Amino acid sequence: MTATTVNTSTTAPTEPPTLRSPASGKEAPIAGTPLRRRRRQRPEAFTIVSYIGVIAFGLTCLIPFWMVVAGSLTAESTLSQRGYSFWPDPLSFDAYATIFAGNRVWLSYGATLFITIVGTVIAVAATSGLAWVIARGLPLVSRPLAVFAYIPMLFTGGLVPMYILVTQVLQLRNSLFAVILPLVIAPFLVFVQVSFFRGTPQEILDSARIDGAGELRIFFQIVLPISKPVIAVIALFYAVTFWNEWFHALLFISDTSSYPLQLVLQNLISSVANAADLGSTVSAPVYQMRLAMTVITIGPILLAYPFAQRYFVKGLTLGATKG
Amino acid sequence: MSVDLATRTEDVAISDAVERRGRKRGIRSRRTWRRRDYGLLVLAAPAVILLLVFAYGPMAGLVVAFQDFNIADGIFGSPWAGFQNFEFFFTSGNAGRILWNTLVLNVLFLAATLASGVLLALMLNEIRGRVTKRFFQSVIFIPYFVSPIVVSIFLQAFLAGPGGRGGLVNDFFDVFGFPSVSWYTEPGPWPWILTIVKVWQLGGYMSVIFLAAITAIPEEVYEAGMIDGASRAQMALRITMPLLRPTAAILLVLGVGRIFYGDFATIYAIVGDNGTLFATTDVIDTYVFRALRTFGDFGTTAAIGLFQSVVGFALVVVATLVQRRYAKETSLL
Repeated sequence: MTATTVNTSTTAPTEPPTLRSPASGKEAPIAGTPLRRRRRQRPEAFTIVSYIGVIAFGLTCLIPFWMVVAGSLTAESTLSQRGYSFWPDPLSFDAYATIFAGNRVWLSYGATLFITIVGTVIAVAATSGLAWVIARGLPLVSRPLAVFAYIPMLFTGGLVPMYILVTQVLQLRNSLFAVILPLVIAPFLVFVQVSFFRGTPQEILDSARIDGAGELRIFFQIVLPISKPVIAVIALFYAVTFWNEWFHALLFISDTSSYPLQLVLQNLISSVANAADLGSTVSAPVYQMRLAMTVITIGPILLAYPFAQRYFVKGLTLGATKG
Repeated sequence: MSVDLATRTEDVAISDAVERRGRKRGIRSRRTWRRRDYGLLVLAAPAVILLLVFAYGPMAGLVVAFQDFNIADGIFGSPWAGFQNFEFFFTSGNAGRILWNTLVLNVLFLAATLASGVLLALMLNEIRGRVTKRFFQSVIFIPYFVSPIVVSIFLQAFLAGPGGRGGLVNDFFDVFGFPSVSWYTEPGPWPWILTIVKVWQLGGYMSVIFLAAITAIPEEVYEAGMIDGASRAQMALRITMPLLRPTAAILLVLGVGRIFYGDFATIYAIVGDNGTLFATTDVIDTYVFRALRTFGDFGTTAAIGLFQSVVGFALVVVATLVQRRYAKETSLL
């Protein structure tokens, strides 16, 4: 039976159904899609293996999140006796209660939010402006600007000069701008946006120009509104970068009241004693708190992810095809 | 038309792909400036200033590598030291170890993430139904958005558990009667542990890129394969894999260009100041950070940074040239 279906498949898909007589017309769809039908009847070994592989990898991606959530809800005593478990038993909200009773977590959330929001706004504004000027292809300006934005991708000054610049020259120690400013231009994202801007239809710009709009007006009232998709992509990539940033905070922020969340979390790893400092009580559930703090830190990203993920995929493929 | 001429002469030649796209359609470039064009300079100004200060400033600051720098005298007052800083690093006995670690770890990371990305993309491609496929793609892409610190906490749950003992992997070992391992005091397995972490973080990210390349493969190729009676596995192996080669080559070449930059965030977040693991995990970036923080030795750390940047730059240039050659030969990207 399989032999005949394979045989017919060589001719059947290309034949329009109208060539068949009305009597055999009922059979035409069956003969026309033998392969799809065969696949549906018994999936091939490779397909089964693929499903298993993808599901397994998907689970390894999700399990750590679940373990941390479960652990953060498990009582400290159980946690230290039996270690991590997949189900919180007995359920305990001690860690969250302790963390939110102190004011450190609010300060850290404030710091992280400030870095993320202010950083993303500055980054998107600066990146869009630069990308548009590069994409416009103006003589003597666009090409040198592109090279100017490209060189930092190849060559960096490194840690020490950055450290001297921020702490000695700019005197930004303990300022959240020390975390924001070194990261506001990601050359890769500049070029993602340039490649999008290049697709802006010339006719729209021409008609605006005929109506007497200046370059700035064209950019703000025409280019930006029609570029919303790419701006969303760029903004999301920057926002995640700023939310997750801790290296510059580690270097430049020493005042604990302006620690962003990631830095608080890092301190919890390096020293359990810091956990007690986070809450208001002395006998704080430290291990449970470490996990609760992790949940608090990744929570917003996980909540936003289902809505934002298609933009990330889009941005990545846009950037990837650019090279 | 004159449009073509203008584009050819003035288009930005940063990336061939960008150039091609720009030429195909969209905004054209002009030869002359008009008065109202100057508004554009305002748009670029913030980015230019930020890049000058935070990207080019530190590059100029690399002169510290040739100085006996101290904070009090600053960049302009510190005495010059010639190549002493470089000498100090290369004769300190640490250079060999951290350069070797950087190379080994990056080669492992690159090979493993590329291989897992291709494999995941091939497997994702087998999944029927747009919604199901997109769901799985989103799930395996999640780890990319998790910060290194959080990854470090996840890893502790698996390797150490609360109080530094146990952990899920050891629980698992117990079941099969293996002796439990005190992972955080054993430097031996760490290159592999870190590689697994990188695959977890980047496998999904890579697969998104490869899956995009798979979608670009024309359907006819597979129809031809079906007619010849190829199985799904044969099609994945004989059709999809060879057609992914250009994408893989570009990613590989880009990765090779960055092979001298240690992954500071991941490694430092996981290993931190745990000296017992330095033998296999200390890379250039973590060494530089520690040297700066504990010894405050600006000159030597800047020298290492400069050395790293120069070698990295050379590799990037070579890699870019190779990539361009490759990009011209293949039409996929």
